[in-house]
Amino acid sequence: MKKKMIFSDFFKNNGVVMGTLLIGLVSFWLIFLIILPQLSMLDYSFRFNLPPAEVGGPKDVYTLSNYEHLIYGSDSTHQTYNTVDLKVFVRTIIAAMLVTIFNIFLCYPLAYFLGQSKGSGFVRLLVVLLIIPYWINEILRAFALRIIFGDSGLLNEALMFLHLTSEPIDFIRQDIALYAGLGYAYILLMLFPMYNVIESLDRNQIEAARDMGASWVHIHRRIVIPHAKPGIVSGATMVFMLSAGALAAPQILGGPSSLWFTQLVYQWFNDSLNWQQGAAYAIVLLASTIIIVLTVMKIFKVNMGDIGK
Amino acid sequence: MSSANLIRVALGAYLLIFFSYLLGPLVVMSLTAFNSSSFPTVSPWACFSYEWFDVLFNDKHIRDGIYYSIVIGIGTVILSVSMGLAASIVLTQVWPKLRSTYYTMIIAPILIPGVVLGISTLVFWDRAGAFFGATDGSFLYGLFHNGIFLTILGQSSFIASYAMLVFVARLQRFDTDLTEAALDLGATHTQAFRKILLPFMRPAIASASVLAFLASFENYNTTTFTIIDYKTLTTVLAQKVRLGINPSISSLAFIIIVLTIFAALAFEAANRNKEHKLAVKKGKASERKSGILPSFMTGNPAAILLVLLAFVVIVMVGTAQKYSPETCKIEVREAKQIAIQQRIEQLKEARRLKDEAKAATQSDAPAAPTTAAPKNSGAFGNVFAPTNLSDEDDAAPKAAPKDGNGAFGNVFDPNNLNSE
Amino acid sequence: MSSGVAVDLENITIRFGDFTAVRDANVSINGGDFFSFLGPSGCGKTTILRAVSGFLEPSEGRVLIGGNDMAGIGPNKRPTALIFQNLALFPLMKVWENISFSMEVAGASAAERRKRADELLDMIALGGQGDKLPSELSGGQKQRVAIARALCANPDVLLLDEPLSALDLKLRQHMRTELREIQKRVGITFIYITHDQGEALTMSDNVAVMKAGVIDQIDTGHNIYDDPSTPFVASFVGENNVFRGKVKSISGNEAVVTTNRSGDLLSRITPAQVGNLKVGDDAMMFIRPEALELAPTDADSKTTITANVINEEFEGNSFSVFLEGDGGKMIKMSVPNLGQDHISARGENLSLRYDASNAVTMPAGELASE
Repeated sequence: MKKKMIFSDFFKNNGVVMGTLLIGLVSFWLIFLIILPQLSMLDYSFRFNLPPAEVGGPKDVYTLSNYEHLIYGSDSTHQTYNTVDLKVFVRTIIAAMLVTIFNIFLCYPLAYFLGQSKGSGFVRLLVVLLIIPYWINEILRAFALRIIFGDSGLLNEALMFLHLTSEPIDFIRQDIALYAGLGYAYILLMLFPMYNVIESLDRNQIEAARDMGASWVHIHRRIVIPHAKPGIVSGATMVFMLSAGALAAPQILGGPSSLWFTQLVYQWFNDSLNWQQGAAYAIVLLASTIIIVLTVMKIFKVNMGDIGK
Repeated sequence: MSSANLIRVALGAYLLIFFSYLLGPLVVMSLTAFNSSSFPTVSPWACFSYEWFDVLFNDKHIRDGIYYSIVIGIGTVILSVSMGLAASIVLTQVWPKLRSTYYTMIIAPILIPGVVLGISTLVFWDRAGAFFGATDGSFLYGLFHNGIFLTILGQSSFIASYAMLVFVARLQRFDTDLTEAALDLGATHTQAFRKILLPFMRPAIASASVLAFLASFENYNTTTFTIIDYKTLTTVLAQKVRLGINPSISSLAFIIIVLTIFAALAFEAANRNKEHKLAVKKGKASERKSGILPSFMTGNPAAILLVLLAFVVIVMVGTAQKYSPETCKIEVREAKQIAIQQRIEQLKEARRLKDEAKAATQSDAPAAPTTAAPKNSGAFGNVFAPTNLSDEDDAAPKAAPKDGNGAFGNVFDPNNLNSE
Repeated sequence: MSSGVAVDLENITIRFGDFTAVRDANVSINGGDFFSFLGPSGCGKTTILRAVSGFLEPSEGRVLIGGNDMAGIGPNKRPTALIFQNLALFPLMKVWENISFSMEVAGASAAERRKRADELLDMIALGGQGDKLPSELSGGQKQRVAIARALCANPDVLLLDEPLSALDLKLRQHMRTELREIQKRVGITFIYITHDQGEALTMSDNVAVMKAGVIDQIDTGHNIYDDPSTPFVASFVGENNVFRGKVKSISGNEAVVTTNRSGDLLSRITPAQVGNLKVGDDAMMFIRPEALELAPTDADSKTTITANVINEEFEGNSFSVFLEGDGGKMIKMSVPNLGQDHISARGENLSLRYDASNAVTMPAGELASE
């Protein structure tokens, strides 16, 4: 008969020393590493970029100008829109969605295959093969794709050897390398959650459905996919958030102009040294991705508790 | 059964495409590490060469990067594993009504883009410094603007969530009666934690630590903001890759890939061995007969592969001491020169034909371009030479490549990596 | 070893939010007694045990051990040792380390601990098994290790939370005897929680029967079986045939009940309810299956029931005969197996009688659900 205890019982159940230690660590994490940093970034995004001497002075007031900049650019009359940045923003969100959908379709069959053929040596080998690229640095993986997509890269050489093209194709300038790289970067974060839930599906359910004459399409639509839904949404959430927030792949595989919203944030911070502006862009990125994820979770009726399984 | 065959073929093709997409780039990248061509490429293939490893090991930025990555990794492991463990224990006890809110809070960092975490950490500690009135040059200001300090905090903020997930999975199987039994037998809460819960959590702590270290080691998005004037391996690599690519990065990738394969195979082999022992114990399998192979390898393909890989690495390192691509390079250069010469001849011929018509005089052929010959020959030979590793004395070679595991291992020995 | 420390529960009420797990429990347990709390799962008996061991504080009332109020004293400070339902042996520690854990946390040296553990291992007939892990022991051996671990703490009171429930029938019966012997040997107070009436009746000096957080009866096992004080106790402990009806007449401690379907029947009023039962009250009369026997033709109609045999089951030591009385009333009769092939034939009409002293009547109330 285990009753969940209320907070006041916490110290009685853990002792004073352990209770303090536990609460202390968790509070440090939540307050100093998550809540306060996010709040101070939010605060920063509403401030002017002032020289250090003027911080705290009369000019240090709240402003919406950092957000206005994203929409109208440096045009203070608000006549023209900041088409460059807005385009990048929209492109980032849409491309991240497309990458997520691409990954779902690419991973589902493999997750099903691995999840339902238990324990054979071949499957174990495949899983080991999957783990290897998982632990290779993101930068190195992007670098590997750059080797392949480069002007004189393997792909161009192969295409020219097969006489499919006479001139090398500029995959990098045409963003093909970037999208391939983003799809590549987080594919395993889609695969593993899917694989985990499908593995927990009782094979008998599939066999029972088959026995009753259901077609393969029907089995997947009515049995496997509903069961795998938390895993799919969990994987899709991770892939979408990580793709939208990716920085290495756009920096390495992107063309000369900035393509990805994170690159703009990076430029505001490291090149223009305008932290306030960068913070505003980061807030926009965070808020829009969270809204999209929560909407998708609501539509598919998935809880936060399913994330990370 | 032709439809079944069709499915089989389709499945095979799909697996092939998937794994080519996943592994192909890594294989190609690994190969480029051995091509003497100064641009990472497999075709045209110039010469088989170890020289890029040599370039890599002589790169001070990379050595420094690895050193700081390890320092930050250790700090992150300590901080994130303790926070994750505490958070998971609190999760099992938190008031049911608060539970889902609390869980959302501790899982959220996984979903916050790394860029945002990096920025918010940077901004917050800058503000905190200002709040405490820390001025430039004071200890607090130095700490709050220290790249290592900020990177550990920034990385731990989300790596703790990963660690927490590992712990929650393990805690679900913990019988809280055990803690109560310990208390009932007179243990204090601290003793019960240390003697009962902690030993139970030990495997999870180990795997969470490995996970946290790897996540820290390869993190880029957060680190690039918080690291300020330090460098980690990833930020060094990112900078190099953006500035211009050369195959020494491939050689680093190759080393990491080999180490990863080693670890994966060793883990798999150990798992299989454990499973088999368990099966033997339960009488479900027979004790392996000691044949030609040592017992731990029999019926354990992962172990066999592990030993084979170790053997290949030994051979490679061995040949690297002696192998010199010089002859090949000269040949390539000669071939190039011949090709250029031929081209020139053709041009000359064309011009001569033209000129003949005009009956003009012949000019000298342009000089053939020459490429500079690399200074070093046997790449690994130099790697293990003390002078190459550092200017410190204690960086003398410690491990001759006797066992496969250690072949590249000492490269990552923090003692070998010196800062200025 | 210490012996004979009394445990008193004074007006204990335990609430979890809106739910009252235990309501106004008053129990006084004599020092050195083997005392059982018997009740169906969810009746609050484990909650009481947790209040005694200190894992939770009662919302109202006091727990006294040896006359000392235990309020505010944590489980690690109380002179009690608990044996958990699942035993809670520490899986990563060797058997001897498990047994001597209480000494380890008190700071005893390894040699001391080992010596004491070996003594206790000898006592539970597991000498030489100290270096095994708990997972290498059989169910009964684990059981004994759990007891030794609890005894090693030198408790004044040993608390046992259904420790035998995981064992198979044979072992369970064997362990009952063994537990009782250990209790006699060490002489300390045992408080035992169980839903198995067999365990409670065979081992205990006294039994408290609980229902939905309320203690219905505290008495010796024998009295609980023979003189149940409520319909719940009558129907929960052992098997019983229940006859509902109204009290027709009372004389002394005997009553005639006009049952709904079986006519007027005579029985004893259960001792706890004498004086509580009045003519015209709704009443329940209980007759145990073994109290019924085949009636001679001239039997007193006030202690006779007629019924048709529906089925007969052979149970080894006895036959169970299931009969249908007037109005579809189901009756069970138990007849000892004395070598006969069978008792009756299906469909046969039997006349059954009982001794009025073997039937008890009490005010109507809630029965134990099956």
